[in-house]
Amino acid sequence: MTLSDVTLIPVARQHWLTPSRAFGLGLLALLALFSLLGPVLLGHDPAAQNFAASLAQPGRDYLLGADHYGRSMLVRLAHGARLSFGMALLTVVTAAVPGVLFGLLAAWRGGVLERVLDFVATVLLALPGLLLVLILLAFAPGTFGPLYLGLALTLWIEFYRMTRATAATVLKQPHIEAARLLGFGSGYILRCYVLPEIRPILMTLTAFGMATAIIAISTLSAISVGLQPPTPELGAMIVELLPYYDEAPFHVLMPALLIVLLVLGLQLTARGEVR
Amino acid sequence: MNAPLGARGLVVSGLSVAAGTTTIVDDVSFTLSQGRPMTLLGASGSGKSLVAHAIMGSLPPGLTASGAIHLDGADLFAADDRPDTRWGRTIALLPQEPWLALDPTMRIGAQVMEVHRHLHGARPAEARRRGLSDLAEVGLADRADAYPFALSGGMCQRAAIAIAHAAGAGLLIADEPTKGLDAVLRDGVVARLRREVEQGRLLLTITHDIAVAKALGGMIGVMLDGRLVEFGPAAEVLERPRHDYARALIAADPSHWRAPSLPAPTDVVVQGHKLAKSFGGRELFSGLDISVRRGEVIAITGPSGCGKTTIGNLLLGLAAPDAGGVERSRGVAPQRFQKLYQDPPAAFAPHQTLRRGLEHLLKLHRLPWRQAEEAMERLALAPVLLDRRPGEVSGGELQRFAILRALLLDPVFLFADEATSRLDPVSQQDVVAILIDAVRNRGLALLIVTHEIALAERVASRVIRIGSDLPLAGGGDA
Repeated sequence: MTLSDVTLIPVARQHWLTPSRAFGLGLLALLALFSLLGPVLLGHDPAAQNFAASLAQPGRDYLLGADHYGRSMLVRLAHGARLSFGMALLTVVTAAVPGVLFGLLAAWRGGVLERVLDFVATVLLALPGLLLVLILLAFAPGTFGPLYLGLALTLWIEFYRMTRATAATVLKQPHIEAARLLGFGSGYILRCYVLPEIRPILMTLTAFGMATAIIAISTLSAISVGLQPPTPELGAMIVELLPYYDEAPFHVLMPALLIVLLVLGLQLTARGEVR
Repeated sequence: MNAPLGARGLVVSGLSVAAGTTTIVDDVSFTLSQGRPMTLLGASGSGKSLVAHAIMGSLPPGLTASGAIHLDGADLFAADDRPDTRWGRTIALLPQEPWLALDPTMRIGAQVMEVHRHLHGARPAEARRRGLSDLAEVGLADRADAYPFALSGGMCQRAAIAIAHAAGAGLLIADEPTKGLDAVLRDGVVARLRREVEQGRLLLTITHDIAVAKALGGMIGVMLDGRLVEFGPAAEVLERPRHDYARALIAADPSHWRAPSLPAPTDVVVQGHKLAKSFGGRELFSGLDISVRRGEVIAITGPSGCGKTTIGNLLLGLAAPDAGGVERSRGVAPQRFQKLYQDPPAAFAPHQTLRRGLEHLLKLHRLPWRQAEEAMERLALAPVLLDRRPGEVSGGELQRFAILRALLLDPVFLFADEATSRLDPVSQQDVVAILIDAVRNRGLALLIVTHEIALAERVASRVIRIGSDLPLAGGGDA
């Protein structure tokens, strides 16, 4: 329903920081602190073994216990969180930059360029994302490069499509035509008119993309095609500890819980205003 | 044949609407009875829509209404009242711009039938029969299978009327029902609304178009800054308005204007030779010659969809003609050819404050801020408006900002594309006066595209009518 008296109503600006977003950001900040400071403060090598402490329960020596090789769980979790966070961030940035640029370009130029980009995006979208990663991983199993490239290749499409759709809508509006008539150049129009419309979507997409990347990395490592032990990767840690579930169930659950918290924080951050 | 009609009367007494401590609608009282439709006139931002929403019970969150509203004796502000149980049953809203309010994915026939099916609980066959008869009544019997996008604006408005009619509500509220429609379509919609009144419905219309108020008759209320400053029988208010604002509003109707004295036109700024353009396989015009000289006001009129806006866009170089050519006077910078838009908010970036936009423009063209301040003073724009966003300023003010923006670049040619059609008569008169002033003092060439023939005839040195002998867009609009 439209209201022709909107100008009368004092605008109660939508708060950007909704409770769920604040909670998500808080959670992420804590996890980031843990993953950044943890490895520095704890000082241990995540691969340092101590067979005397094999599967030690949480206690004074090992705050969160030790795994079957007697490696400190706390240190390994901090390294794992850093790895997941860092890789997810790197992947999403790699996906977002070309995605947004191509999206703007397609919306701006249209024509053949847009059709070619759309075709490429559609072809990539037709391949299941994990399959693409698996194909690339076949070239160099257990390394970070193909994993990262494969994930970025699947994630950029969303950035591309959302940017193109939003930018195309904005560019069609009369105020763009008016700006051109007033003498403003393309750079100004992109910076001051198009980007502000895209920014909120980017934030959401980034958070979702990171969550996807974290889950994909740990899933692939868990089925032993991603990163290999002894790398302290959360998914790989779960699988490594699984045989000892009867003796130390808590040890298996800890990396899983960390993944849940990371993804939860990202998803809550992505949740914008309640509509 | 439809559900029993008729609410006997609506009594609004001492209605106020407040946002926090700010009163937006102040102490509005009127009664609405059968056979006497009521029309609320006023500028955008005068609070007339809020009165309608208070009656509907659909005020936006954050606004509170006080006072009393009784529909057939029932207290609409009673504590246990659920306004949504009334929607469609006893009160129906005819939305403004119905092409946005109709479901775009549903055929209009189905949209009428679902009212009978689900609101009145009719069986499918019966609902279909009744729905078709509702559509037949508004002259859309053969369009039941069309989607809203395939209909013209006037047809969409009539489909919306059929839906409101099907609901059989006793009180019909029409919010700017003729916004964006040309004179012919407008008269058609008004005639339909009159029929609803004759069938015993209460009708409350909100508009800024005096012609609509005149044609509907009944009672007229004039609103200014949230107050009902004038209320009385239509003939009396239109002939002998008492309040200053009501007088200004009625005097501002283009049919009451005096023709401005314009200087003799000088050199040609832009001309088109043998222009032709078709759109979607339909030829809009061909072999059109047009030349615009400085100090001249040219008006193009014609029904909607006849291509009058396209002519202006061709002259500005925003569109390319299929045949023919456009020649602009040499040595004149491109930004001295400017355009004003129909919908003022659409011509500004929505999230940018007016100050930012203006600052960027002045910086781009190396103009001092002082110049903007002086221009704002001339156009009676308060500095406080600068820190608002386009959506927070009234249509008239925003259109004056658009003019200011254009005039800062010292234009030689200005194309006003229905630039006043969404403004109330007083703002419209202001805007046109400013434009005429620029023509007189700066030797601006002004091209006005409008569907208001009265306005075109009063203001323009030359009127070009196009498409008058062509059938209307979509056909069958009358």
